[in-house]
Amino acid sequence: MTAFYSWVAALAASGILPGDFQYPFLVRGFLSVLVLAPVLGGLSHLVVTRRMAFFSAALGQAALTGVAIGLLVGEPINAPYGGMFGFCLVSTLAMVYVKRHATLPSDTLIGVFHALTLGLGLCLLVALTRQFNVHQVESVLFGSLLTVTDGDLALLVAVGVVVGALLLRQYNALVLDSLNPPLASVTGADSAYLEYLFAFLLALSIVVSLKVIGALLVESLVVVPAAAARNLARSTRGYLVWSIGVAFLAGIGGLGVSTRLLVPTGGAVVLAASLLFFLTLLARLFMPRTAQDVPTPGRANA
Amino acid sequence: MSASSGSAGLLQVTDLTVRRERDVLLSRVSLAVAQGSLHAVIGPNGAGKSTLLTALLGLTPFEGRIVTRWQRDGRIGYVPQGFSVDRTLPVTVEDFLALTRQRRPVCLGVGRSARRHISALLDGVGLLGVEKRPLAVLSGGELRRVLLAHALDPLPELLILDEPATGLDEAAGRQLEDTLLALRRDTKTTVLMVSHDLEQVRRVADHVTVLDRTVVRDGAAREVLSDDLVRSGLLFGRREANRT
Repeated sequence: MTAFYSWVAALAASGILPGDFQYPFLVRGFLSVLVLAPVLGGLSHLVVTRRMAFFSAALGQAALTGVAIGLLVGEPINAPYGGMFGFCLVSTLAMVYVKRHATLPSDTLIGVFHALTLGLGLCLLVALTRQFNVHQVESVLFGSLLTVTDGDLALLVAVGVVVGALLLRQYNALVLDSLNPPLASVTGADSAYLEYLFAFLLALSIVVSLKVIGALLVESLVVVPAAAARNLARSTRGYLVWSIGVAFLAGIGGLGVSTRLLVPTGGAVVLAASLLFFLTLLARLFMPRTAQDVPTPGRANA
Repeated sequence: MSASSGSAGLLQVTDLTVRRERDVLLSRVSLAVAQGSLHAVIGPNGAGKSTLLTALLGLTPFEGRIVTRWQRDGRIGYVPQGFSVDRTLPVTVEDFLALTRQRRPVCLGVGRSARRHISALLDGVGLLGVEKRPLAVLSGGELRRVLLAHALDPLPELLILDEPATGLDEAAGRQLEDTLLALRRDTKTTVLMVSHDLEQVRRVADHVTVLDRTVVRDGAAREVLSDDLVRSGLLFGRREANRT
């Protein structure tokens, strides 16, 4: 990778690329955004369609607790992936299992898990301050490009390819299952398998995104792009394209702001995404409505 | 649901019981659905009609036996009673029907042959031209016809409809009846339908089961619907009367 960074730096020095690309950590950041945008943007429109925004927030908190567990059992401070993924996986399976078998509303159950993982995470983090300076885990909480390594980037690419391939393979069944699970079951889809699979892929993507976005903010990037895309999209295809586009613009915008103003990358990316959401909200007000968009009197879904 | 081959009824239900916690939603329901028939299940609110359908579809745990004798591929088409769509969801009618029509992920676009097929399907239910409309802007009647088009693709051996006339105006209701009668006549598709609309049942069904948590009447449509108790609606009020 050193030769690649040198080549990019030379292009930046000669004015072909922006000057920021002279720094390898910024090139890694840019590449991270290139991978994260389709992964999180793509997941985003399914997360919102499947009404799993709160579930994603709980997973972000679980990842934070996983970091603490990883560090306590001796994982390296810049890559506690075992703890993060292990605890996120356990939390994911538990949340989906309980959601499918309990009679309480799913947001209530997820709220219980959310509180549980956050409480556990805070207790463990306080315990951790006896071993580490708490600022050392800030990058996991808020995201930092400075700590993204080539290994992290390779992991991001590998996970992105696996998540993308599995999502595309099950895409139609996932959407139909989101719209009406009994209808999906009748067409041969296994609703339980789809729910566990999607939750697993979401957990995996959240874990590998933490270095860039941060545990406290990652759920924003799996919700806000789809929310913005809904303001503009008129078809499923448009929904996906706009979700990825918003995630990409937010990533690049946040990267630029965080580099110049020296603020955490995660915060800057989420602020950029939120700004884009409000811009799309405005754009929707001025978008021409076609005859296709006009509700039929007696519309089924008020 | 177990399957076997033979020439008897397509569907044989024996002593089907569904419990939810301490409540018995259906008790020892037995009925037979003949191959190529249009079988209606009627009964009061809370009689367990939709529960019976979900048990037949394998969506609800049950005790008892359900035996099917498929003559073709055993495909089941289903039109659910409820189908709520988030009003901002940008899924068009074409996208929705393509979810089961094509293998390619719908987010990558709908193929040309799938588009042609979807237009023909919509034409069949009297909705040609709504392909690009979001599901969320459709009226209740339009949505039910889209669901019927979805259930007919590919052509099922057994079509299960839960209150298909809900939200339909008179013309659309008549069109639905024509579609069901044509299906039975041209394709020998067996139809099992839950309905509240006794007049509609009288016009299309050839077999009727009256359900009130268990089978109360069962027989040829003409015979069951001419029953004074059924006609006057007293049968439907009996459970409520017993409760009070």
